[in-house]
Amino acid sequence: MQHLLAQASSNSSSAASPPASASPVRLRPSPSSRRDQQHREREAPAAAMADEHQELARAFSGLGGLGVDEAAVVSAVGRWRRQPEKRAQFRRSFPGFFTASGGGGGVMERCEDEYVRQLEAEFARFKDAAVLWAMHPWERDARWAHHVLHKAHPPAVLVEVACTRAADDLLGARRAYHALYHRSLEEDVAYCVRDANAALLVGLVSAYRYEGTRVSEELAKEEAKALAAAVKSASASGAKLVQNDLVVRVLATRSKPQLRATFRIYKELNGKTLEEDFAGEPCLQEAVKCLDSPARYFGELINGAFKDGADKQAKAALTRVVVSRSEADMEEIKDAYAKQFGAKLTDAVAKNAHGHYKDALLAMIGK
Amino acid sequence: MATITVPQAVPSSAEDAAALMKAFQGWGTDEKAVIAILAHRNSFQRKEIMLEYEEMYNESLIQRLQSELSGDFERAMYYWILDPMERQAVMANAATKCIQEEYKIIVEIACANSPAELVAIKKAYHVIYKCSLEEDVAARTRGNLRSLLLALVSTYRYDGDDVDMGLAKSEAKIVHEAVRNGTTDHEELIRIVGTRSKAQLKATFICFREEHSTSITKALPHGTDRTGYLHALRTALRCIVDGNKYFAKVLRTATRDSGTDEDTLTRVIVVHAEKDMKDISAAFQKRASCTLQQAIEKETSGDYRSFLMALLGS
Repeated sequence: MQHLLAQASSNSSSAASPPASASPVRLRPSPSSRRDQQHREREAPAAAMADEHQELARAFSGLGGLGVDEAAVVSAVGRWRRQPEKRAQFRRSFPGFFTASGGGGGVMERCEDEYVRQLEAEFARFKDAAVLWAMHPWERDARWAHHVLHKAHPPAVLVEVACTRAADDLLGARRAYHALYHRSLEEDVAYCVRDANAALLVGLVSAYRYEGTRVSEELAKEEAKALAAAVKSASASGAKLVQNDLVVRVLATRSKPQLRATFRIYKELNGKTLEEDFAGEPCLQEAVKCLDSPARYFGELINGAFKDGADKQAKAALTRVVVSRSEADMEEIKDAYAKQFGAKLTDAVAKNAHGHYKDALLAMIGK
Repeated sequence: MATITVPQAVPSSAEDAAALMKAFQGWGTDEKAVIAILAHRNSFQRKEIMLEYEEMYNESLIQRLQSELSGDFERAMYYWILDPMERQAVMANAATKCIQEEYKIIVEIACANSPAELVAIKKAYHVIYKCSLEEDVAARTRGNLRSLLLALVSTYRYDGDDVDMGLAKSEAKIVHEAVRNGTTDHEELIRIVGTRSKAQLKATFICFREEHSTSITKALPHGTDRTGYLHALRTALRCIVDGNKYFAKVLRTATRDSGTDEDTLTRVIVVHAEKDMKDISAAFQKRASCTLQQAIEKETSGDYRSFLMALLGS
């Protein structure tokens, strides 16, 4: 998408338009002769126009970023009232959104349906964030889980909901699932997930963990050793650890403090973290990350939404994480994000999102 | 329906606490007085009495009862005085300690309670034992037995009446296949029994019976199964299909002439006296040659018998 824009802007000026939302850099012709100066004087309005087009393209999410800049669109609507030529120039400057049509010299620029679909998604981000924000957290989680199961999306969201919510909140989400869908969450997971991850996922969503702080170091050591043995034997035999009874039992039943002790001892005994040793089994890695360091997991999800080429689910994760964690562990997520990506989360969101969507996210993230 | 009777005009908890202290004093204990009070109070009233007693006399009523009473009577009274959810949590915990022999109790607790009651029991378990019932069950079992018990204990079934008949038919087929193939490859069967709502399961078993002219419990292989998995499965199915009939059968077995099983009698009567003992009694009478009260009268004695009879409403 961005490369189309880069092409487009070079039609109206000799500017090179970079991806993402950095301000456009323009190459100025070197000031030498009077002819150049006259040329420049004629060029100035064209350059200003190119700027305006870029701003509007950015507002329509054409230069990347999430959401649309509603205010900028409204401002252009006002400024260009009764100036169809301005709008036509804009259409010509935005080949991703509009293509020439009507044979021969391009009588009219028509809309690209594909881009309109993308735009719908971008306009909807604020709506989705607002509705989800208003919803009860349990209903949110139930709807996300149901969506993932019935659209056969990757199960990461299930792992996230099952492992990062408090025990009573996961139970509440399961109760909400009953009310919404007249089935239990675990029966749908067991029925819809038929791959190797089934046992782990059913176990994780069914968990009602002890939430107290009591930890048995002895038990943690015993289970760390047993896990190490399982990892070793699986790497020798090529078996999948996600189907290993011991792995599933420990991850799905032990309390979170107990698990963190187990993970810590595992690293002390084996030099590598369990997450590293679960390489090649994304479901297990996600589970360990969510159980051990959810703030880091969420920071990575948010960062993933900003990347070039992020897909629909990666982008949707931004709304999901910010809305669901805004009143949970948002401070820890901000710290983890700064630590891992060297930038403030609020700055990254301001840079990568537009309009009301951006404002809503920033309001939920807090200072 | 419950069988315990609570008097119309209930004395205050302070009066009851004082009456209990009077029963403890002097030589021996006035067991009749203890039964006359505690066997005729509901769980809320019992809790009030416990709190009042502790405040008035600076000692735990439970501990005093444990020292004053003995034998089967003491055990029964100990379970009775507990809050109903705590009671089953304590029973579950005792069962996990020798789970290879007592897994049946875990199955009963998981399957005979409503989904909300099971959650409350698990919450009580967290508070008392500082760990979850699931971890204790999972850590002490293996193989199919573990998969089944863990599924039964962890599930939070949909509690409504919605039934999908198409699904019931297709899952009846799956169940039939699994049962035909012995005890290997029971993943699907455990999935169905461990997650579907009770209404859905009942519909599935009805389809099974219509299709194969035999009930699911009869269709299960009857061979010896050292792991206990088949027995646990059969118990689960019976509890889900008809809990009253199941407990009536348990009581009939416990009151056989060949030796009374007081632990089982205590467990069933104490847990169900304030729940659905009337229905279990009715089911008992259907298949037995006497009423439950008559069987208890015959097979037990002393204060223990008086206590059970009081719980049964006599």
